[in-house]
Amino acid sequence: MKTVFINGSPKKRFSASAYFLFLQRLFTGGQTVTEKLRTPADHSRILEQLRGADAVVFCLPLYVDGIPSHVLRFMEEMEAFCRQNGLHLNVYCIANNGFIEGRQNEPLMQIFEHFCARSGLTWSGGVGIGGGVMLNVTRILFVVNIGLLALNTLLSVINTGSFFPQEAWISFAENAALLLYFNLGVLYYMIRMGCHIRKGTFSGKKYTRILIPSFVFIIFADIFFIIISLFEGGLFRGWLAKKPYEKI
Amino acid sequence: MKVIVSDLGSQYAGLIEGKSDRIIEADGKYAQCQGCFGCWTKHPAACFMKDTLQQVCRIIGQADELIVITKNLYGGYSTAVKNVLDRSIGTSTPFSTYRGRQMHHKLRYGKHDLWKVIVYGEITENEKETFRYLAERNALNDGYQRSEVVFLADPEELEAAL
Repeated sequence: MKTVFINGSPKKRFSASAYFLFLQRLFTGGQTVTEKLRTPADHSRILEQLRGADAVVFCLPLYVDGIPSHVLRFMEEMEAFCRQNGLHLNVYCIANNGFIEGRQNEPLMQIFEHFCARSGLTWSGGVGIGGGVMLNVTRILFVVNIGLLALNTLLSVINTGSFFPQEAWISFAENAALLLYFNLGVLYYMIRMGCHIRKGTFSGKKYTRILIPSFVFIIFADIFFIIISLFEGGLFRGWLAKKPYEKI
Repeated sequence: MKVIVSDLGSQYAGLIEGKSDRIIEADGKYAQCQGCFGCWTKHPAACFMKDTLQQVCRIIGQADELIVITKNLYGGYSTAVKNVLDRSIGTSTPFSTYRGRQMHHKLRYGKHDLWKVIVYGEITENEKETFRYLAERNALNDGYQRSEVVFLADPEELEAAL
């Protein structure tokens, strides 16, 4: 069984879509291929991968309640390609959005369903994830925690000769458990969808989110953007102002 | 202010001219959104890419009435139109709020009146349903009071729909 994973994020690295793709690959098994879809130059390479594949999984962000335009451009080409070559793949989708409600991905899911109907492909369902950007941050925090644990262990070996600094390990376990908890909804639906991909069956449309209350999430989201804007300079350039159109 | 975003080619320009304060031609001659959030966090309401859409959010943001003329593509906007919309997220700020009991971004230019979509090209009933739903979602997301979707059998019928 061959499954082609398409990362539809326009970002070069550290995208939330890449994170969810990585997780879904873990739970899928069989022969898997991962392709990045960023520009039209990627189209022919990805289309060739679809020959002989059983399933394709699109991992992409929600843009303006729908599919990002560069992915739409690919889908138009894919429709023609699949019709010409008589391909009948199962199509799955993992969509993520920055808002906390995973259900906001519903229009995107419907558009995928219509794409499949027009392309002679089998719409097989997907997972819509709310708080995608924050969930992506949790993986970075997990890596930071591993780094801190390694550093503490090294210091412990140098200072006391012990390879097991108890406090550092407890702190790591607590943080890892918390980060895991935030991701539980995503992990559950990805394990479930992995089973469906392996069996070639319909997984339904499922929606999940980062597991924290909405009002807490909003506070963290605002803090996140304030920090980014502080570093990038937007805060000092009329961050919230009604900017007028300026003729260049 | 009334703004039209249209993917109809120049052969239909006569039908649109004079019907709005601004026309944004969705001709595909511009870059795709890179997802960098720079129009929120680095250079507010402007894109780092210096093409015809660099300040598109400053035009769309000031629209009371936004009319999107698009060919149907799977129950959603055509690639060229979607590209324009993707590049216009600077109409909002990165701060979050609740609208319609869901999380959305705060509006940079305040509330708007009408998000109207005029769809042409072959379309199924299911795709029509999705389009209506999509326009509702867009209106809520971007702070429009109401949405409307009109389906045309032929772009020549456009004049009556505007």
